Amino acid sequence: MTETAQNRTNGANGGEPIIVCREVVKRFGDFTALDAVSTEVRAGEVVCIVGPSGGGKSTFLRMINGLEGIDGGEIVVDGIHLPGGKKDIQNVRREVGMVFQSFNLFMHMSVRQNLTLAPMTARKLGRAEADDRAERLLDRVGIGDQIDKYPSQLSGGQQQRVAIARALAMEPRVMLFDEPTSALDPEMIKEVLDVMRELAESGMTMLVVTHEMGFAREAADRVLFMADGQILVDAPPERFFSEAEDERQASFLSKIL
Amino acid sequence: MSFDINIILRYYPELLGGAWVAVWMTAVSLVFSSAVGAVVCIGKLQKYGAANRLATAYIDLFRATPEIVLIIWVFYCLPLLFDVRIGRYGCAIIALSAYGGAYMAEIFRAGVQAVPRGQTEAANALGIPIFHIARRVIVPPAIRRMMPALVNFLTELLKATSLLALIGVAELIFVASTLGSKTFAYMEFYTAIAVIYFMIIFPLSVYARRAERRRLRRTGN
Repeated sequence: MTETAQNRTNGANGGEPIIVCREVVKRFGDFTALDAVSTEVRAGEVVCIVGPSGGGKSTFLRMINGLEGIDGGEIVVDGIHLPGGKKDIQNVRREVGMVFQSFNLFMHMSVRQNLTLAPMTARKLGRAEADDRAERLLDRVGIGDQIDKYPSQLSGGQQQRVAIARALAMEPRVMLFDEPTSALDPEMIKEVLDVMRELAESGMTMLVVTHEMGFAREAADRVLFMADGQILVDAPPERFFSEAEDERQASFLSKIL
Repeated sequence: MSFDINIILRYYPELLGGAWVAVWMTAVSLVFSSAVGAVVCIGKLQKYGAANRLATAYIDLFRATPEIVLIIWVFYCLPLLFDVRIGRYGCAIIALSAYGGAYMAEIFRAGVQAVPRGQTEAANALGIPIFHIARRVIVPPAIRRMMPALVNFLTELLKATSLLALIGVAELIFVASTLGSKTFAYMEFYTAIAVIYFMIIFPLSVYARRAERRRLRRTGN
């Protein structure tokens, strides 16, 4: 285990549970996407979710910030219970940032506007303060000089870093990443993972659906293996990658490692 | 038979007056069409329920009725049916707006639905209030996407004003046939108004093409 991961693990052990999932169920018609999933994430923890596609990883992530409804059980985020009313969902979304596979930047707005829209409308921040925050965050993800460009003028890696900064501009307590590097050219994956590593080291609570096993191995405190709508394995990365507890996990690992 | 350009020059104030009537009929109808279209579009965007059914019925009804029938009906039948008195210009605007509303609703809907779902999803995930999502995230790219259809419809609306001659609105056709019957220079006046229509509509389509290219250069989508 690297030294930084060690520190974080220690920090995470002391953290309060910030996300609690109890028997969470999701159905699409007759198909059960999530089958009574329960888990907890502590403040400061970095949890990577891996597994075959169609296993419910993204659906699970999207339920935590209310992008998908909950058909059974409950999710408690920072004390707010879901399923709940519109207000509850809105409150959860302010505390939970999300980064998408396809970036989903607002293409008709400059990078600056992408970063200031949510703080100004959802947090009622003044323009000057929102601007300052945008500049600070873009510097942090290493593209402060691109603030007045439009997303289409940036590379994929830069766009995804803008998307991370946009989510951070709401000062969330939790960050969700839904396959953040899957749509990127290989040479751009590292720059995004570096930003995520820095974020993890700063103590951000992160849930990351990813196929980047290298990232999971070195940055995660726990790795969840999801298949068939269930969490089949929940283990620290050293154990997860060395000794398979589950047949499906073993076959998954043998295919991707 | 020769083409007498002088007779056109002699009557050009009348012709310009006709063009002016056509243009402002178009402008006023466009404003009302947009208002009707926006309301119908919102109804149509509901996935189900009475609002959706009402909006669908409205669009079906007015798109399946020829504009000329609508104009005549509003002018001759509406006043009898409801015992009201509406001037010919009022009737013209009502008919064109009712017809235009159905088309604008579909243009708006297509524009809104052309905005990728990921845009709304990202805005939702950021906790942006719904009003601001509509105003800042959905409407601007929707308007840009609907510009070509909008300009196209604008030209259709301008061409539809020629039908208003039937109820005595002094637009270009009406002016040309009046002048023609007075001077027997039908060929000159009908040619003149063809040129006038072209001179109004052609720059519009050129402008729309350019604006679209500029937008592509700036935002890349």
